[in-house]
Amino acid sequence: MAAEAHTIDALGQFKLETALGPLGASVNFTQANLWMVIGGLLVLTMLYLGARPRAVVPGRLQALAEMSYDFVHSMCVDQIGEEGKRFFPFIFTLFFFVLMGNLLGLLPLNFFYTDHFGVGLAFTYTSHIAVTFSLAALVIVLVTIVALRIHGLHFFTYFFPAGAPKLLAPLIIPVEIISYLSRPVSLSIRLFANMVAGHVMFEVFASFIVMMAAAGTIGTVAAVGPLAVNVALMGFELLVAFLQAYVFAILTCIYLHDAVHLH
Amino acid sequence: MSGTQGGGSSEKKSFDERLSAARRRQGLEAPPPPPGGGPQGNALGVGLRVGVEMVSALVVAVAIGWWLDRWLHTKPFLLALFVLLGGAAGVANVWRLIAPARPPEKERGGRD
Amino acid sequence: MRPIARFATTGLAFTLLSSAAFAAEKKEGMPQLDFANPLTISQVVWLALIFIALYLLLSRWALPQVGAVLEMRAARIGEDLDVARTAKAGADKAVAELTAATRTAQASAQAEIAGAVAKAKQEAAAEAATLNARLDESLAAAEQRIGAARTAALGALRQVATDTATAVVARLTGAAPDAAAVDRAVGASLAARGQ
Repeated sequence: MAAEAHTIDALGQFKLETALGPLGASVNFTQANLWMVIGGLLVLTMLYLGARPRAVVPGRLQALAEMSYDFVHSMCVDQIGEEGKRFFPFIFTLFFFVLMGNLLGLLPLNFFYTDHFGVGLAFTYTSHIAVTFSLAALVIVLVTIVALRIHGLHFFTYFFPAGAPKLLAPLIIPVEIISYLSRPVSLSIRLFANMVAGHVMFEVFASFIVMMAAAGTIGTVAAVGPLAVNVALMGFELLVAFLQAYVFAILTCIYLHDAVHLH
Repeated sequence: MSGTQGGGSSEKKSFDERLSAARRRQGLEAPPPPPGGGPQGNALGVGLRVGVEMVSALVVAVAIGWWLDRWLHTKPFLLALFVLLGGAAGVANVWRLIAPARPPEKERGGRD
Repeated sequence: MRPIARFATTGLAFTLLSSAAFAAEKKEGMPQLDFANPLTISQVVWLALIFIALYLLLSRWALPQVGAVLEMRAARIGEDLDVARTAKAGADKAVAELTAATRTAQASAQAEIAGAVAKAKQEAAAEAATLNARLDESLAAAEQRIGAARTAALGALRQVATDTATAVVARLTGAAPDAAAVDRAVGASLAARGQ
């Protein structure tokens, strides 16, 4: 305890644990997965309860459900075109999966694990590069399959623009391939880095609060400073949570647009 | 529903306008101007994205170079080559990120 | 939009700051990069299962419900707008019919009035014409009568003049004058006086 109090363990919060007791442990079901299930159930519940009244003039929950639907739907159509409607369920799933990961992680809850020091935040599964990279890889595989399906082998002209001089082909083609392959990497790193950064900041400032409070009365009063920072940070992180989910979804849409229209 | 007949012409006109506006909103009438705006409108965190694009291109390039080196036993050379290519790809990524905001200068247009 | 960009830039700063924090935590390393931990991979397996389940539930069950509600509303509003438009068209048509009817009624009334006036004028003209004719006729008859009377009077005057001349000549000369000469002389004298 004393040793912990003097070092800031900003990364312990990302440590994976098994959830749901021995049953979860037997199948390596982590708290990240538990929060994925919670997020998914929240989205499904929101849509189900929202769609159930079938009112012409919607109530609050119905308005929320319809707004979510419309928001993602118009994103698909605006970015991809009419073909975007086919990808709407996928983009919707992706957007809300990421959004829930980002948002639920900000809940000041500590129900499911009590392992780490500092404020007990719920687990942010989008702060794991394995998760974000899996999602991004899924996106890029889907995009490539779509492009190959629509354009066949013509898709490979994507790596060599029509107007470019033939002499530069040995340079342009590897660069374009690297650029294409860097998409899932940048997609996953962006989300991962944003989430990790926010939560590390929370942890750091929360640790400051605890350390200063331990240093006597003056320290306790001064601890208001980092507390205020964390409050402001919470507002900022709520915005980032939404923004990053939006960026993830819209970049997926842009990649799909490229796949459908080739350039 | 039955309009109060004998209303002033301005009232009648506004009713017409409102009706056609409502129909347009519902997509029953063709909207007058096609909504502009290309993919990715504003500078949505360009700063962050530039960094991420560069880094991720380099990550991919280094991974390919390292893997090819191990496979072909050409230890440092391909890695060095791919670091250069990765830098170029990063620049290309960034250029593509910035380019849609400006008219195409080079012949090689990015998307669209 | 600008505040969003600023926030994102701040996000970049945070990222850099946090990477500094990672550097400080190097001794333990990031749990995210701890691929020796079986949970790091197992969470991805569960992720795949949960994501697929969520996708299927959303695309097959939840989203079509919301879509149906939205479609229903769009159809309803479209229907209402169509009704409004047809009602509007009907009202416009009725107004047009009304004005047209008013206009034809006005025109026919005008025509009737004009016809009546013309007829009255015609009748008056005809009456005036017959009246004139009758007046002319009686005028002519009167003139004729006056002429006859005058002629008669003139004839009597000649007789009187002849008789008087004969008597005067007979008294003066004692002999009855030649009747033919007297008649001639009277005729000449009358002619000289203008008759």
